[in-house]
Amino acid sequence: MGKIIFFGGKGGVGKTSCSTAFALSKARSGLKTLLVSTDPAHSISDLFHCQIEHKITQLEANLFGVEVNPERESNAYITKIRKNLHSIMSPIIMEELNKQLDAASVSPGTHESALFDKMIEIIIDTSKDFDYIVFDTAPTGHTLRLLSLPEMLGAWMDSLIAKRKKTLTFKSMLSKDKGIKDPIIEILSKRRNNLTLARKIMIDGENLQFIFVLNAEKMPIEETKKAVKMLRSYGIKVTSLVVNKILPNENSDDFWKDKKVKETRYLKIIEEEIPVDNLYQIPLFKFDMDEYTINEMAEYF
Amino acid sequence: MKEILENIRLFFVGALDMQGKAHGHIENEASDTMDQFMLLCFGDLLGIDLPTTYYALELLPYLGEDLVKWNMRMSDKKSIWEEKAGKLDIDP
Repeated sequence: MGKIIFFGGKGGVGKTSCSTAFALSKARSGLKTLLVSTDPAHSISDLFHCQIEHKITQLEANLFGVEVNPERESNAYITKIRKNLHSIMSPIIMEELNKQLDAASVSPGTHESALFDKMIEIIIDTSKDFDYIVFDTAPTGHTLRLLSLPEMLGAWMDSLIAKRKKTLTFKSMLSKDKGIKDPIIEILSKRRNNLTLARKIMIDGENLQFIFVLNAEKMPIEETKKAVKMLRSYGIKVTSLVVNKILPNENSDDFWKDKKVKETRYLKIIEEEIPVDNLYQIPLFKFDMDEYTINEMAEYF
Repeated sequence: MKEILENIRLFFVGALDMQGKAHGHIENEASDTMDQFMLLCFGDLLGIDLPTTYYALELLPYLGEDLVKWNMRMSDKKSIWEEKAGKLDIDP
């Protein structure tokens, strides 16, 4: 059963580069690794000169990649529902429902949920085939709560199902026909079973790990501290930190010398205040991320 | 003695539904429960942020018509207290 790694951290800290370098380093040490990218800029496709798509593509001997586009996923889901509705509902009702579906398709919660759905799908389908599944992002907000609080995951679904069953009980008391198979309960149960299975793989199997990427500056440290504390309180493992974009040791300018001193101090604070198994320190590279720099970065993992 | 007979009479009125109110009570409970279910699924139409909104969209083909009616009813609600007081069954 494969280890599942989520890379957390604010935008711009270097999650995509670090997760790619990490995945590369695991793959090259002989472990079969799947890299899941949510980066809309397709930077991973560029790095490997490969058209990575929504199907799992082999990039190297032990490294495979797949791209997830939350907008594409949510649009596909909503379009399918719209088509179903169109053949059943009257035009008047359709108008109201279309409004609701349009609102849903631009809501931020929808993209979050669609991404979470795809993550769960990938985890359930592939965790047996890989030693490592590396995501270049991490669940946030709603989806993080659904994932981390065992009571919540499934509790919402359970309450929906229970309410539905109660409604049906009353209906069957009033009418003669009993024992109709309710499609709603079937759909909700299927969804609930999926979430339960994913949680089993990740949490019960202790396969889930969070790795946080940050820079050696005040705000990122504070935010990371809070995030790590919260995750650990949910019983989720945060095994490693990656401090990215570390300044070189040799600096000629006073400005940069000062910055380097501050940075060293912050590094010490990180070491003391956020204990982890692995503290990776990645330097700020001279050149932009390309196939050569990514190889260099992989050496640090 | 009169009290005991009265109580026995009331017992049978209730148990055998001689006032014909049982059907109405069950219908009320059923529609209340259905409203609660719709709230859990589609509360975002009323401004409630729910984690299951995305998943509830899948249920629209089955609940579509009910949803539109439910939304209109929820938006027209004037007073919860009046509504509930009206459903209280107080025998004379």
